[in-house]
Amino acid sequence: MMKLSIGPCLFDWGKKGIADFYRRMAFETEADILYIGEVVCSKRLHMDPDELFSLVEELKSTGKEVVLSSLGLVMSESEQVELRALAAKAAEMGVRLEANDMAAIGVGEGQPLVAGPHICTYNPDTLDFLQSVGVDRVVLPVELSANHITGIFRGKTGMESELFAYGRLPLTFSARCYTARAFNLPKANCQYKCGDYPDGMNMHTQEDKEFLVINGIETMSELIYNLIADIKRLEEMKIDILRLSPQSRGMVEVVKIWKSSLSGQMGREEALAKLLEINENVPFCNGYFHEHPGLEFIQ
Amino acid sequence: MKKIEVLAPAGNLPSLRAAVDSGADAVYFGFRNATNARNFEGLNFSEKEALEGIRYAHKNGVKANVVLNTFPQVDQPEIWYKTVDTAAEIGANAIILANLALLKYCRDTHPDLPIHLSVQASASNYEAINFYKKHFNITRVILPRVLTVDEIRLLGEKTDVEMEVFAFGGLCVMAEGRCYLSSYVTGVSPNIEGVCSPARSVRFESQGGKLQTRLGEVLIAEYEPDEDAAYPTICKGRFEANNHVYHTMEEPSSLNVLEMLPEVIEAGVVSLKIEGRQRTKSYVSTVTSTFRKAVDAYYSSPKTFRPKGKWIKILNSTAEGSTHTLGTYQENWQ
Repeated sequence: MMKLSIGPCLFDWGKKGIADFYRRMAFETEADILYIGEVVCSKRLHMDPDELFSLVEELKSTGKEVVLSSLGLVMSESEQVELRALAAKAAEMGVRLEANDMAAIGVGEGQPLVAGPHICTYNPDTLDFLQSVGVDRVVLPVELSANHITGIFRGKTGMESELFAYGRLPLTFSARCYTARAFNLPKANCQYKCGDYPDGMNMHTQEDKEFLVINGIETMSELIYNLIADIKRLEEMKIDILRLSPQSRGMVEVVKIWKSSLSGQMGREEALAKLLEINENVPFCNGYFHEHPGLEFIQ
Repeated sequence: MKKIEVLAPAGNLPSLRAAVDSGADAVYFGFRNATNARNFEGLNFSEKEALEGIRYAHKNGVKANVVLNTFPQVDQPEIWYKTVDTAAEIGANAIILANLALLKYCRDTHPDLPIHLSVQASASNYEAINFYKKHFNITRVILPRVLTVDEIRLLGEKTDVEMEVFAFGGLCVMAEGRCYLSSYVTGVSPNIEGVCSPARSVRFESQGGKLQTRLGEVLIAEYEPDEDAAYPTICKGRFEANNHVYHTMEEPSSLNVLEMLPEVIEAGVVSLKIEGRQRTKSYVSTVTSTFRKAVDAYYSSPKTFRPKGKWIKILNSTAEGSTHTLGTYQENWQ
């Protein structure tokens, strides 16, 4: 059976919010892998490194794999200092480091690495190179289709495949903070407004259609990417791991629904209906997987 | 003192000649296929045109760089690898690459061909840049438009890889090469097919006296009759957030670093890149000759240099939205 991972929390839930969430995922769900660490904004790291590492040890005690995720857009000296410390700690604790910027591939070269969804893995030759520097698991860019992914992994051994399978899609990073901009604040004095938007701030079109969400320097889909209707195809593709990206509501239930779907106990229609209810009817999308615009939902 | 380079875009042979004739130190161009990120209809070079263009540039003491900055597809990667070979064969001064597989191939197969790391590789820090240097011996990095001038200066202290920055033109406000906004709406990936906001997905429609611009089915902006409508790219769209309607990400304006030229030069940047391979020959001439004058004026008197109002006016007349911004180079933009 495919494994389920809980992705790094992309939102600003604060120190307690993050710690409580991962404890629940570790102790109350059957998720196999937990990714923890700040990917979006270095200003958000409210947890000091020692607290983070002791939480990792606690989560590991459940027997689940824990991976330390790192920043998606690395720019400043302090971010590089923190990245080096994170990589060293990952090596010391014997956990994988998820790289989301090439800086992390460089810093962590030779130690067990996951190339995260923000590393541009578009072809088999890139996979070979990444493998040569320590990567043994790849989370593919979210825009790739099933056919493209199959092509990338054809004949590949010694490399686990992980797909972003559920949650708001992380679509892009900028140097500019769009949450701060929405309040006419400079990034340097953002007042941590992201903390008020546990699933991001909605950005609708002028026709009031759901479109994107603002999440600090990241822009995401407002629609929930959802591959639960595509499980059969994912099994045929021999994907190793499916990533569920944290959201503020009902994640324990979400993991249960995915687990029951993977084991064949829950049907597609029931799973979709339950997930829709948890998301208060925010529509799903899965277009990328089917070689369509990402925002479409193909049944 | 070695002058900073003025690097001009060439979407076709006439533009390349115009750039050379207007005082560019170097030009850059791509081939007519999906191997570069300006894969627009009627644009770019055949192999024969490339050869002719390079000869014209070299005869005039101008360098010519070949752009190959998309990611090879799974089905037909051969054209990407073949384009690397072609760039070496026709005597390009450098090749601009983003993909790890192509970087490796180029270094193994053509060790003498200098590699410039494309902005599409999104290398915004010295750890990443030095990683590319270690494995592929890149000689230059084209910095993504996410850094302030101060950050660029600090970066330069930590690497001996040359730094090239965007100086003028369309402003990509995202970490390039890792932006999926356009494919989310159109299904066409800029990383694979080399085109953001493809023209075939764009519509301009009149609706109740207002002009609407759409990408796919998504309304990107609605304009009053007295407003100029911009080409619909998502990052320059007008949306509703936090209970008001505004350009949530960026206004449709052009980047222009002229006002910060001394700071950019003193930060250690070696090349000023003018964006716009999709623009006209006259755009290329105007912008290139203006930057030529500005750069020469700086070196004749670095301490007293001020950009002339006339230059700014000329550059604004070519700009998207007819306004300009210093973009990310100044911290308060962020």
